[in-house]
Amino acid sequence: MDRSQNHCLTRSTKWLADLVVTLLLWGYYTVGFLVFFSLFYVMAYLFSKNRETSFQRLNHRFYKGFFSLVRVLAPQHKWRIDSDVSGIRSCVIVCNHVSYLDPLILISLFEKHKTIAKSSLFKLPLFGRMLRLSGYIPSTSEGKLKELMIQHIETMNDYLAAGGNLFIFPEGTRSPDGNIGSLNKGAFKIARLCRTPIKVLFVRNTDVLFRPGRFLFNACVPNTITLELIETIEPDYQSKAFSISRLMGQVHMLLSTQSSRH
Amino acid sequence: MTRDEIKTELMRIFRDVFEFKNPDPNDNLRDVHGFDSVDAIELLREIEIMLGARLSREEKEKAMDVRTINQIVDYVESLASTRS
Repeated sequence: MDRSQNHCLTRSTKWLADLVVTLLLWGYYTVGFLVFFSLFYVMAYLFSKNRETSFQRLNHRFYKGFFSLVRVLAPQHKWRIDSDVSGIRSCVIVCNHVSYLDPLILISLFEKHKTIAKSSLFKLPLFGRMLRLSGYIPSTSEGKLKELMIQHIETMNDYLAAGGNLFIFPEGTRSPDGNIGSLNKGAFKIARLCRTPIKVLFVRNTDVLFRPGRFLFNACVPNTITLELIETIEPDYQSKAFSISRLMGQVHMLLSTQSSRH
Repeated sequence: MTRDEIKTELMRIFRDVFEFKNPDPNDNLRDVHGFDSVDAIELLREIEIMLGARLSREEKEKAMDVRTINQIVDYVESLASTRS
């Protein structure tokens, strides 16, 4: 067998392994959800005194299970999650965004969490209902989502004070090349509104495991996924010198500096 | 509060709190300054401080349809008149 045949065999073996891993992960996502979680969601919906908290806890456990499975099925991907990250409470968390996996990782790390999701997702029949019940916030406040948005932002202060976290990807979308795009003000405005510290996280290489635009997980390549707490910012919101633009500039610089390393 | 006082105070809020450069009373706040619903909630808090009174949910929802500073002045003026 010559080198090109070997290479071809390796490529097809890798493709097959990726397919199997992807199918197993999607299996967990669909069948696993129905078998292991749906009953708990129904019970939380019917009987929980605080549906939002219960749904967030269930989402957290579901994705914790998902990433445990990812670690088993894709052992070449090493995970380095800063031990300080999972201890974050009562903060607005901002993070760069390179893969669809990023929000799911943060959900798997924080039992009490909220995030901002695209408004269009709230219109999806079942998924949209799940987002609402989980207390996630629509990105715009047009039409019927207006009341939901007001309600969530107004109660955010109490939610954060009770130990919850709000995580946001201020770039608004995944970065195609790892460079940090311009930041939206939303996260910083909410931090100011609630007078909370800002934790700046940096995620790396989740896009190697699940490439944007590709259906299959890239399970068979050596990779290290990292999630670091790169800064805690405690702005003096009362100060006349405080400026959202400066705060955003500071966060952008932190993320860009981190992005340029390696 | 007179209309002029309301307008002066609102212009100060837009300059100092929301960091708008040279806000014009007829600017569409969303289009020109990127004013969004989080800003609207913060503005409502400032209006509550200005009026010294809490706003009801219906009053807050009405504010979400306001687009210009002049419309906000009208809105605050009507709130002030119902409370005087």
